Amino acid sequence: MSCADALSCNNRRCEIEVSSLSRSFGNTVAVDDISFNVGRGELFAFLGPNGAGKTTTINMLIGLLIPDSGEVRYHGQQFDPKQLAVKRLIGVVPQHNNLDRELTAAENLLIHGRLFGMSGKQLHQRIDTCLAFADLTAKRDTPTAKLSGGMKRKLVIARALLHQPEILFLDEPTVGLDPHSRRKMWAFLRRINKEQKCTVFLTTHYIEEAEALADRVLIIDQARVIAEGSPQQLKQSAGNVVLDIYRDDDICNEFFADRPAALQRLEQLDTSVRIRETTLEDVFLQLTGKRLEP
Amino acid sequence: MILAGVRGIYLREILILRRKLIKTLMAAAISPALFLLAFGYGVGRGTQISGVDYLAFLLPGLLTMSSMNQAYSIATEINISRFYFKVFEEYLLAPIQRWEIIIGETCYGITKGLIPVLIIGLYSLLTGVTLSFGPLFLVALLLHLTIFALLGFIAAMIVKSHSDQATINAFLITPMMFLSGTFFPVEQMPMAIRAVASIFPLTYSTQLIRAALTPGAEVNLALLGTLTVIAMVLFLIAKQIVARVEL
Repeated sequence: MSCADALSCNNRRCEIEVSSLSRSFGNTVAVDDISFNVGRGELFAFLGPNGAGKTTTINMLIGLLIPDSGEVRYHGQQFDPKQLAVKRLIGVVPQHNNLDRELTAAENLLIHGRLFGMSGKQLHQRIDTCLAFADLTAKRDTPTAKLSGGMKRKLVIARALLHQPEILFLDEPTVGLDPHSRRKMWAFLRRINKEQKCTVFLTTHYIEEAEALADRVLIIDQARVIAEGSPQQLKQSAGNVVLDIYRDDDICNEFFADRPAALQRLEQLDTSVRIRETTLEDVFLQLTGKRLEP
Repeated sequence: MILAGVRGIYLREILILRRKLIKTLMAAAISPALFLLAFGYGVGRGTQISGVDYLAFLLPGLLTMSSMNQAYSIATEINISRFYFKVFEEYLLAPIQRWEIIIGETCYGITKGLIPVLIIGLYSLLTGVTLSFGPLFLVALLLHLTIFALLGFIAAMIVKSHSDQATINAFLITPMMFLSGTFFPVEQMPMAIRAVASIFPLTYSTQLIRAALTPGAEVNLALLGTLTVIAMVLFLIAKQIVARVEL
């Protein structure tokens, strides 16, 4: 599939094209023949349970793991981690806050900038800008070991943005954050997408995170892609309205294209029923027969 | 920026070293002091080896051994950074050549390896042993530190966990410390031990550094060639390994 095919990237120019990517560790297939595209400026969520293959996929996209087969293209060019120019396009926020604990917030950014070939006034200005963007100016000279979990996470993101990447990869950006910090993080990620004009590719196992943030969602389970589309499209494909029908300690779901159809069915039922809008959780349940554990 | 990777990595290591300098200095001072007391004053007092006092024989050996330990200790640091704090990922993701990581870390290992030179220099003043720190010593020391920093780097790249690291230390570094001529001449050992010692790079660097430090001693310059070849081979091995490293 080429970049000329506008629909392949949700009507946007293609940033990343992934085709038939696979990777195994010993006898375990971590990622099995997955293909998808990410458009320029998109906020793209890779949703799936723990162990589904999200981190392995991201690691192949950023060059930390070599695929067994398949290919990754950036701007139509095949990705080779040895080609350094492509690495400048990428910013990475790993699942683990991999900061140097003994160094201050500013020093952590300084080292990152040096590794990306930045120096002098330009580097120091970028450090100031990124610290300000992440609300960490006051913590500039604080050793990172003394920062809160949310601050560390923001610092890792600020570090990934320092060299002005075109695409930001975030692996489970809100794991370990309390609900309040999580919502603040979502707003921060939206700002990165809109203000910094960054394509954002994130993995998550939180349904509401994908639903709240993503322009497009790719659902992965047991190493394979099982659905793809905007949250709206995915919900539409399952049926926009769902009936939770309570029968003998069990709940079964029935999906309907719209509310009148659901209400018509409701009239035929003589048990407790709840009518509500479909969520991505329902989509996942319908596709896999199981729920995503929070 | 030229060699941005080498400079970035070296800067990172030095900034961290600066934060724990006192602790590092103290740790580097204790072990040679204990060996000096136990072997220099306890066992070897009043004895002579190859026509010199045992203390004058021992101090260059301790310098070589301690600087080896310091240069090689980057293995543990890289190991922690790779498997625990995962900071090593930053190097793998940066737009730098993989061999720049080797050079950056080796330069750091060399810097750490210079610490025992200061300490043993101080001990030589305290014990009244004269050591001659000349240009030959500097060249030999540089080669010696390069070899052990590279060895530390390779060890950190091939292990899969902290415990693997301890195994390598037990099978490689500890025997090297005791069998390479630090405390007694290799020539005094049985044939089998001499054969083992001949595969340890420390045997050659101890011989060369001891000769360079001992006033009036005869220096076998061919050893410079041996150490250069070992360093080059280790660099090529490190380059092969780091090119394939994932995560």
